[in-house]
Amino acid sequence: MSEKELGQKWDRCLADAAIKVGAGLGLGIVFSVVFFKRRTFPIAFGTGTGLGMAYSNCQNDLRSPYLVHSNATKEQ
Amino acid sequence: MLRNRKTPSHISTSSRSHHKRLITAFLFPVPKELATKVGIAGGAVYVAYDSGLLGGSDEGSVALSKAKAAIPPAVDEWTKYFGFELPAAPKIEFSPVDAWNSGVQKSIHALSVAPNAVCDYTSQGFQYLKDLTK
Repeated sequence: MSEKELGQKWDRCLADAAIKVGAGLGLGIVFSVVFFKRRTFPIAFGTGTGLGMAYSNCQNDLRSPYLVHSNATKEQ
Repeated sequence: MLRNRKTPSHISTSSRSHHKRLITAFLFPVPKELATKVGIAGGAVYVAYDSGLLGGSDEGSVALSKAKAAIPPAVDEWTKYFGFELPAAPKIEFSPVDAWNSGVQKSIHALSVAPNAVCDYTSQGFQYLKDLTK
């Protein structure tokens, strides 16, 4: 894996982590307001789930050095 | 005497409404409030799934770039609609990436020249002491 590719993977990881944590937080807030009478545990659960999904995606991305992403093929 | 009754006289109105409620509960067992809540929560989950927020890392980064591209025009539109202008964001010329990279380079350079520098300073110190004792 070249250094440029590694840098791109880390960029993708961070962007995905921001999106997943934000989406988990948002869904946690919705569920907290709608079902759980504004308690805080669904928000924490949603945020943690988003973080876990981002970690899993990042781990999968960094452990697959032979997969070529669509952006790379377009650049070539 | 004729009585204009649409319903049989042996069934009272309160028990008739009770029968209607029983039939409605049998046909639609879920209360309206719960159905509304499930609809709202399910809709939120579907919107998140449909916009690629819960997919792989590629979809997440694409969604973030779309959001970054969509926010400034949306902010401009809303400020025009409400009729006030937001103050311009201050331009900060500090780049954390450049600062971090230069810090890393300087630290590693210092570590690489440290043994030679220590030897030089030690020999200079010994020479100074020798000159003092002469």
